[in-house]
Amino acid sequence: MYAFNYHRPASLAEASAVLVANADAKFMAGGQTLLPAMKLRLANPSDLVDLVALRAELSGIRREGDRVVIGAMTRHGEIATSDVLLAAIPALAGMAAIVGDPAVRSRGTMGGSLANNDPAADYPAAALALGATIVTDRREIAADHYFLGLFETALEEGEIITAIAWPIPKRAGYEKFRNPASRYAMVGVFVAERADGAVRVTVTGAGASGVFRATDFETALTADFSSAALAGVAASPEGLNTDIHADAEYRAHLVGVMARRAVAAATA
Amino acid sequence: MPEQTHTRYGSNIGQPLTRREGLLKVTGSARFAADNHPEGMLYAALATSTIARGRVTFLDVAAAKAHPGVVDVIVPGNTPQLAFDPDDKDSPFTFRMDVLQNDRVRYANQAIAVVIGETLEAATEGAALLAPRYDVEPARMGLDGNETFVPPAVGVGEPPDIDNGGDVDAGLAGSAKRVDATYETPAQYHNAMEPHAIVAQWDGDKLTVDTPSQALTMGQGRIAQLFGIDPANILIRSPFLGGGFGSKALMKGPQILGIMAARRTGRPVKLVLRRDQMFGPVGHRAPTRQTVRMGTDDSGQIQAIHHHNHTATSSFDDFFEPAANLSHTLYAAPALKTTHTAVRLDTGTPLFMRAPGEASGSIALESAVDEMAEACGMDPLAFRLKNYAEVEPISGKPFSSKNLRECYEQGAAAFGWSKRAAAPRTMRDEAGLLVGWGMGTATFPALIFAADARATLKADGTGLVEIGAQDMGQGAWTALAQIAADGLGLDIDQVEFRMGSSDLPNGGIAGGSGHTATAGNAIHAAGGDVIAKLARLATDDQRSPLFGAGNAGVVARDGRLVRRDDESRGESYADILARAGLPALEGQGSAGADQDAQKRYAMHAHGAVFAEVKVDPELGQIRCTRLVGAFAAGRVINPRLVRSQYFGGMIWGVSFALHEEAVMDHRSGRPLNANLGEYHVPVNADIPSLEAILVDEKDSIINALGVKGVGEIGITGTAGAIANAVYHATGVRVRQAPIRLERLLGDLPLAAE
Ligand SMILES: Cc1cc2nc3c(=O)[nH]c(=O)nc-3n(C[C@H](O)[C@H](O)[C@H](O)COP(=O)(O)OP(=O)(O)OC[C@H]3O[C@@H](n4cnc5c(N)ncnc54)[C@H](O)[C@@H]3O)c2cc1C
Repeated sequence: MYAFNYHRPASLAEASAVLVANADAKFMAGGQTLLPAMKLRLANPSDLVDLVALRAELSGIRREGDRVVIGAMTRHGEIATSDVLLAAIPALAGMAAIVGDPAVRSRGTMGGSLANNDPAADYPAAALALGATIVTDRREIAADHYFLGLFETALEEGEIITAIAWPIPKRAGYEKFRNPASRYAMVGVFVAERADGAVRVTVTGAGASGVFRATDFETALTADFSSAALAGVAASPEGLNTDIHADAEYRAHLVGVMARRAVAAATA
Repeated sequence: MPEQTHTRYGSNIGQPLTRREGLLKVTGSARFAADNHPEGMLYAALATSTIARGRVTFLDVAAAKAHPGVVDVIVPGNTPQLAFDPDDKDSPFTFRMDVLQNDRVRYANQAIAVVIGETLEAATEGAALLAPRYDVEPARMGLDGNETFVPPAVGVGEPPDIDNGGDVDAGLAGSAKRVDATYETPAQYHNAMEPHAIVAQWDGDKLTVDTPSQALTMGQGRIAQLFGIDPANILIRSPFLGGGFGSKALMKGPQILGIMAARRTGRPVKLVLRRDQMFGPVGHRAPTRQTVRMGTDDSGQIQAIHHHNHTATSSFDDFFEPAANLSHTLYAAPALKTTHTAVRLDTGTPLFMRAPGEASGSIALESAVDEMAEACGMDPLAFRLKNYAEVEPISGKPFSSKNLRECYEQGAAAFGWSKRAAAPRTMRDEAGLLVGWGMGTATFPALIFAADARATLKADGTGLVEIGAQDMGQGAWTALAQIAADGLGLDIDQVEFRMGSSDLPNGGIAGGSGHTATAGNAIHAAGGDVIAKLARLATDDQRSPLFGAGNAGVVARDGRLVRRDDESRGESYADILARAGLPALEGQGSAGADQDAQKRYAMHAHGAVFAEVKVDPELGQIRCTRLVGAFAAGRVINPRLVRSQYFGGMIWGVSFALHEEAVMDHRSGRPLNANLGEYHVPVNADIPSLEAILVDEKDSIINALGVKGVGEIGITGTAGAIANAVYHATGVRVRQAPIRLERLLGDLPLAAE
């Protein structure tokens, strides 16, 4: 680990100011991605801005009409067990329940995961499928405009995610083929029929540039929201990842199987 | 050792005692090498190469030294003078090592500097600050990565090509049915839970090291040779190993570097390898590409077998995985030959890894046998019984004992093999998963090495038994103590047993599944020696009730000597010693191979393993749901520990077939998965059901105790059984280990039904 300065700001404004003043500063939420990267010397922030003191302000899960708003510092474990969320969007709570392992879930946060936008992370699939809104200290960003590629987002320097607003869908389901060791998605597919009837199918873990929509699957499900409707639909291996865990062909195959199983879960 | 009570029915051998050091281990009070913290100790961290071949051209030693807490940096040029060139070899067990003798890099993760600090953090940071630069040469990787040659010898001194005099080509040509198939196995790394660790301290010319060792006397000799000191001045303490599996059989470069660091600083030094640093300097199982050609007549009788193994060694030393040689012992064949070729690659030197040769050879041979049985339209078990070897196929020698038939019988019955559907892809479970049943034959040579032991009877009639034996977790502390107690005719609680330290008599090697035979026979002989001396004292003494028992003889039992022909006449050890005025009586014993018996007999343990797998037809995901192994390995000293060894071996078999693979980056020459997150090994959830059956086997030829080995045999048979079960479940034959989902996907009509 490289040396760094540690900050624990008491307000959003103060936190943002440290980042604006130091080009190589970084926020830290749960530290579940950032700290391992620092230990391996893959990240070298000059300043670490620990958001822990803002937890009271930035965490919590509440229903606001036809959406559920989740504070950025809310932890995976809290999300998985939230009665509000289990009633409104069980697929999202179920997703949180299979992020990593118990240790990761008791530290890692939804804001941290979405800020990080790991190509194998779970929440990006849900956000893009459900049409979530990323709320920051400066503005609101629609999920459609938020994910810009591998570890790339629309966030600007010093911009802090404060909350994520999740529209409640008619039905939704998520299935993930887990890496047996890390539990990250080798392939995860989120299917949703939104309140307005629009169907979204999103894929994480597979795309060489992060989360993406599987539009062929969306078309098929728009006509008939059932796993049978996906029988002849296949994903192309083009643009999918090949790594030591699985090749692009296998990932393409998984997209089909996970999509069918996700629809089955959504319609169960 | 903590006290433990048990019921002993006459003998200690044969009792299912729990590990005597178990309490220490589960409470964390067992002291492993890295748990030692002598006064004034420093920490050493290795800087390791990120290239596989080339030269180190720059190290920022000044930056490392400037870091607070860094005490010293060792680089080529400032190492303590060695008395023996680390690139020299003077025996088949002397392997070249990298101890900063020059700036060459010969494999990734090779040590290129040692940074010593007051804290582990300072040393680690110092090592990172060295920021090495290299002259990089292209790495030679993969089984086709360099020129192929025939190695001068494989394994430890075995000829590369061996046959039984039959004409293999003619046999194949005349065969009604043939199989000609090529199987690949990847490089695997031992990955014992406990990494190689050393705490070294010098006192003038005397050296004390705490380090895990499977061979204390050999280790002592190697250190003495390198540093030019008397072995008697070196004390190695290795009471416990957190797994060895062959990688701790010989002293490795990093351990020597820890000793050098202590020498240079004049203070005790601890050096512990990081997990990723174990993928290079401490040995691995070499990759293999094996071709098995086999032919049978119309009745399914094997006519010829040719097993060829193409493997790899390092660019700078020789160890050739003798994988084909497994075929020497299992199936009767009038014409049988094994051959080997190899390439030199820019990796660390491969070395013994649990069942070296046998494990890799077994998955190929057992798969080929399964393919052959299918070609003959025969049940795999019936095929194996038809080709049962009554004598060792390669040599024609009779077996000292072989209860493989009973293993087949008992294993098949316990597994329910008779209910197997012959055709592949015809069995399903309630959840719709494809079910497959496969089997494999297990075998491993029964080895014994040279060892000495000392047994002492004390005035109070209790015993002390000492041997520099090693407990790798296999249970030597318990099994050897059982033998020690029987050797002395005492209850185990009456015997103090000492091992795991180099100042004790040479306990030989804990390797080749030969440790119980080796150390056990030495211990038993030592007990016999002291009892014989005691008997002489008594039978020569007119005052003893045993006087004159000479011809009838005496028996030692429960701390007493009694007349064989009249057990009511006898006296206690304590009384005999007291009358003789002796404070103690000492005996010596030794063990070693019986050359004459070895010339006349083939000596092997055998077993049969039956596996069930379930395969998700949509995903190709494979689960090994059930394993039954039945093994015959001579006399069982402790059935609980033996069963646990079989379980461990069988789990390694699962790992071999389905999980383990060091993925090498052919461009950089680095392992891509040098961590336990990506180098997969099975976890509890992967091993739902295991059964190991201990099949009776008496062997009066093999050694005095009749003990074979149980440590490695479990891997053999198992990996092949699982591969065959996967074929039976899916109808897809994957000839590449580990069997990965996507390798199955290629041909599996996934979700088609
Ligand atoms: C073993 C393991 C397994 C895992 N498995 C999974 C898995 O299965 N699925 C999955 O999705 N994830 C997985 N993760 C990742 C985990 O979910 C992380 O918690 C998450 O990716 C990052 O959240 P964090 O709160 O820990 O963020 P941190 O690590 O603290 O920060 C991550 C990044 O986000 C930035 N950041 C954090 N909070 C904010 C904010 N409010 N506003 C702006 N920027 C911010 C930080 O500056 C940093 O760049 C795993 C992690 C580990 C260690």
